[in-house]
Amino acid sequence: MFRFIHSSDLHIGKRFGNMAEDLRGRLREARHSALTRLAAQARAQGAETILLAGDTFDTETPTPAMLRQALAEMGHHAPIHWVILPGNHDSLLADELWNAARSASPANVTLATTATPLELAPGVVVLPAPCTTRRPGRDLSDWMDGAATLEGTIRIGLAHGAIQDFSEDAAASDVIAPNRAARAGLDYLALGDWHGQVSVNERTRYSGTPEPDRFKHDTPGQALAVSIAGAGALPDIRPVETGSFVWSTLPLDLLSGQDGATDFTISLPTGTARRQTLLRVVASGRTRLASRMALASAIREAEPDFAHLELDETDLATDCEASDLDQIDRAGALREAAQALLEQSEDASQSSAERLIAREALVRLFSYCETIEA
Amino acid sequence: MKLTALRLHNVKRFAGRGVAIEGIGDGVNVLTAANEHGKSTCFEALHALFFHPHTGTASGVQMLRPYSGGSPLVEADISTASGRYRLTKQYYSGKRASVVDLETSRLIAQADEAEAFIGELIRGGTAGPAGLLWVRQGLTGIEKRSKSEEEGDKRVRESLLTSVQGEVEALTGGRRMAEVIAACEEELNRLVTATGRPKTGGPYQAALEAQQRLTEQAHILGAEVTALREALDRRRQTLVRLAELDNAEEAAQRQQAISAAEDAFEAAKSHSDALKAAEAEAALASNRHTAAADALSAYRAAQQRAAELEGQLAQAMTQRDAATERRAAALADSERASAAVAAAELAEQETRDLLTRLDAALAARAAAEQVRDMRTRLEQAEAARQQVEDGDAALALLTLPANAVEQLQALEIDLVRLRAAQAATLPTLRMDYADGKSGTVSIADDTVADGEDRGFAGSVRLDIAGVGTLTLRSNRPPQADQAIETTERKHKEMLASLGVNSLDAARQKQSQAQATTRERDLAVQRLGDLAPKGIQHVRDEVARLDSISAGALELKADPEQVRTSLATATAEVASSRNAVREIQPRRAQADQALVEAQTSHATIDATLKGLDATLGPIASRGEREAQLRAALDQQQAALDAATARLAPLRSAAHDLASAEATLRRTRSVDSAANQEAAQLRVVLAELNGQIRTQSDEAVEEAWLEARDALAAASERVQRFETEVAVLDRLRKTLVAARSAASDLYLKPVITELLPLIGLLFDDISITFDENTLLPQSVRRKGQDEDVDRLSGGMREQLSILTRLAFGRLLARDGRPAPVILDDALVYSDDDRIERMFDALHRQSRDQQIVVFSCRQRAFAKLGGNILQMTDWTPSAS
Repeated sequence: MFRFIHSSDLHIGKRFGNMAEDLRGRLREARHSALTRLAAQARAQGAETILLAGDTFDTETPTPAMLRQALAEMGHHAPIHWVILPGNHDSLLADELWNAARSASPANVTLATTATPLELAPGVVVLPAPCTTRRPGRDLSDWMDGAATLEGTIRIGLAHGAIQDFSEDAAASDVIAPNRAARAGLDYLALGDWHGQVSVNERTRYSGTPEPDRFKHDTPGQALAVSIAGAGALPDIRPVETGSFVWSTLPLDLLSGQDGATDFTISLPTGTARRQTLLRVVASGRTRLASRMALASAIREAEPDFAHLELDETDLATDCEASDLDQIDRAGALREAAQALLEQSEDASQSSAERLIAREALVRLFSYCETIEA
Repeated sequence: MKLTALRLHNVKRFAGRGVAIEGIGDGVNVLTAANEHGKSTCFEALHALFFHPHTGTASGVQMLRPYSGGSPLVEADISTASGRYRLTKQYYSGKRASVVDLETSRLIAQADEAEAFIGELIRGGTAGPAGLLWVRQGLTGIEKRSKSEEEGDKRVRESLLTSVQGEVEALTGGRRMAEVIAACEEELNRLVTATGRPKTGGPYQAALEAQQRLTEQAHILGAEVTALREALDRRRQTLVRLAELDNAEEAAQRQQAISAAEDAFEAAKSHSDALKAAEAEAALASNRHTAAADALSAYRAAQQRAAELEGQLAQAMTQRDAATERRAAALADSERASAAVAAAELAEQETRDLLTRLDAALAARAAAEQVRDMRTRLEQAEAARQQVEDGDAALALLTLPANAVEQLQALEIDLVRLRAAQAATLPTLRMDYADGKSGTVSIADDTVADGEDRGFAGSVRLDIAGVGTLTLRSNRPPQADQAIETTERKHKEMLASLGVNSLDAARQKQSQAQATTRERDLAVQRLGDLAPKGIQHVRDEVARLDSISAGALELKADPEQVRTSLATATAEVASSRNAVREIQPRRAQADQALVEAQTSHATIDATLKGLDATLGPIASRGEREAQLRAALDQQQAALDAATARLAPLRSAAHDLASAEATLRRTRSVDSAANQEAAQLRVVLAELNGQIRTQSDEAVEEAWLEARDALAAASERVQRFETEVAVLDRLRKTLVAARSAASDLYLKPVITELLPLIGLLFDDISITFDENTLLPQSVRRKGQDEDVDRLSGGMREQLSILTRLAFGRLLARDGRPAPVILDDALVYSDDDRIERMFDALHRQSRDQQIVVFSCRQRAFAKLGGNILQMTDWTPSAS
């Protein structure tokens, strides 16, 4: 029985320039501390090896402090054995990085920088396919098919990149064959690159990142705990939690007349979890002027609780009826202005940008009138 | 729309009961009742019916509810252009709204539809003023107002035309509009300047600056990242290259290649030396062989040439002798011909001399004859010249100046005239003698004749014989005779100058001069004929002819004969000269031939002598040739030997140049490798430094961060752009709506208002602001007044007039609306009220006006349709 933790895409050193200044440091720190959480899970799962399938570092030239501290953290968790594979972000082109890593590597860290079999334990061999460049232009895992090992050895592939998507695109030549595990007689193929967990087949997995860095995947930070009973046995694969921050997208599909603000408030996480949550609310559907403003105001109200909270209302249409306009004014020039803006926002002959501006102006007028009336 | 009836039940003070006002007609309708009779309740109920939805519980509705509670019911009958309707609304429990067509008693709308129907009636489009025009004790009654506001209004009701302002606000959005615009502008001004540019220090500008800054930063960092990646690539290549260069095997191979090249070069070099020596030897042998062959062939040629020349020499000698002979003959002929020429020339000269002499003798003879004639002519010419000279001398004496005679004559005539004049003026005396006494009187011994008149000038002494001397004095002025004296003097001077003593003499002299002139002219003519070129010429001609004729005049031979002999002699000379000319070429030719023959001979002779020297004595010539042939054979053998030695060397070709090139190349390969390695190590050191610096600074991370931040900043800028566009759109729309409203209503209202004001205030003129409809200035009796000082009465009157003006405007638009006044004229004095009533009546021709008032007495004068409140119980329904 061989147990190990499969993870990838730590992107240590990523700076999150698009986030608020004070959040950047926390997000960055969370990437480093993912190492600690991975080690903790390894101990919890009784695994002695952690395979990092590429993109451990965000750039080819991390600061010496970043690199040394990451390696020191790994060393701190001995005897857990770390195997680091160069990915596309930290490919072998980054010789500065790998030279420095080599000289600072503690004994329990192995740099899988060559495509040669690497014995992890007696009878257990890992076949790494390090990324030679940012875009290798070929399937680097190809060599695994012909890599000979002793009979009865557990063969674990370690690679980084996209899997074949059967497109006829010629540029797809550098994707990894999805049936590589079968072709190369691998007991398990540990893949990196995709930040969400993906099960390609029973022996092939993307572990996803242990600490999410974007809204795209909408999954918590996880790694995979893998156990292989022996050569040829099907691996037992279980996801384990490793995330510190949650990147979450909250879809809010509204119907006209629905109170979006209430729906939104109900859906929110509660308590201290908010501090570790980056939330994107994607509103769509239709809403009345008043409830739209209520939603915006609820978002503003909740915003300080969260690490990050944003509202995407690109697909949210605003309904406006006579009674809405009545709230602006029953008659007179204000009503006329509101009417004109409403017509502009519905005028199909105008560009969508112009309609959006008219609609926003109407919403703004509505909010002004509300304040002034109050 | 017109109101025809109003009914209400369970409203305010009418708890549990109803009241109706029926029969509201066109024009002015008046309901006067004491206070607390329920007028205002009617007013409020009517207002609620039109403006508060039946579902509402707004303060306006709450107000209607009696203290005891219950559901207020309000009902109004109206007539419009499309028909007559009953509007009913009940609030609170059992709340309902309905519209019934009074013509057909059919329910045509309920609940929200009924509200919509009512809304349509009063609204008539959102832009217009409300369909009902209310005036209530200075308040519009349309707007909701807080308690404090209302109290404040009561207190400072005079502050401004609040009610009018309210109506204006209803149109233009008024205060709210202003606040909305202000709020919009405030937000906009936070972001942009008045011209729409980002405001310095504002968040928009800050976002733009951040974007700009991040763009630059990302650009710089991007360049650094590129540089870093390039440096890494270069370092990688450098390392690969260095590894190749430092490879021991390759270095050994390079060394091996060098020594192999060196060996090859040495071999090629020694072979090349041997080849050069053999080639030199062969060349020497070849030269010697050539020299021997040359010597032999030269000797043979000389022999042959000498034989030829000897033959030629004999021939040349023969030719030279013949030429010598031909030249001697030609020389003799030439001399003979020259002698003949000399003889002919001598004979010709003699004959020519003789002829010359004969010609001179003939000329002298002719001259002697000419000289005689010429002398005669000379004498005649000299005589003529003498005659001319004499004539000239005589003429000098005789000639008078031109006009002299005429002037003299004029003087004399003048003198006679003057004398006659004098005589006429002089005193005269006459002596008439007595008999016997004749001659006794004399003047200066001149006896005065008897009876003779004598004039005198000055004084005259008469000697009277025997008597004494009588002196007469005329006492004429001394200048009296001056003219005569002057003329006389001139006359005298003239005569003297002409050399005559009288005019006659002068005339005679003149004619003499003319005769002399004619004679002289004849002599001149004669002289010209005789000696046309002057006398001296004639004289010279005589001398010349004399000299010619002085020679010997004897003729010894016949000139004609001599002339013939001369021609003969001349011909002889010419023919002898031709003979000489014929001979001369022959002689020159002979000379030339001789020279040529001699030259030819001498040349051949000299050449032959030279050849003899070369060939040596004739006896040893055969031997000499044999020697030369032997030498040639010997050299031929040497040449063959040398050539045979060269051939193998040549065929074994060693290319020295390429061997040397190979050596140079292999050496340079090695040194280039060493140099490159050294250079690469320097480059590597530099790259290491560069890479370390940049990777220590984590430029790539910084670059990615800057790019992300830039994206965020750009999004922020985008949001601000949208925000600015939104605010700008809102502001523009609002401003446009407000100005459209004021264009559409306020200006026409003022137009309507002004005649009404004229009707009410004959001593006041008011101007209005077209945008706010507020009075701008007031002129009373020609004095400008502060608008704020308008009396309360005037304010309410203006308020009503403004409503009426609105009413007119609506009526004109085809939407007539009733004007409802509730105690609207509390401050006005009776006089004004009457004027106001006139205005109302005038207005009511096409306008329904409903007046609620407590001033029964005062409003009795209003006339119009008097309304009554009657009890009413709603039909159970």
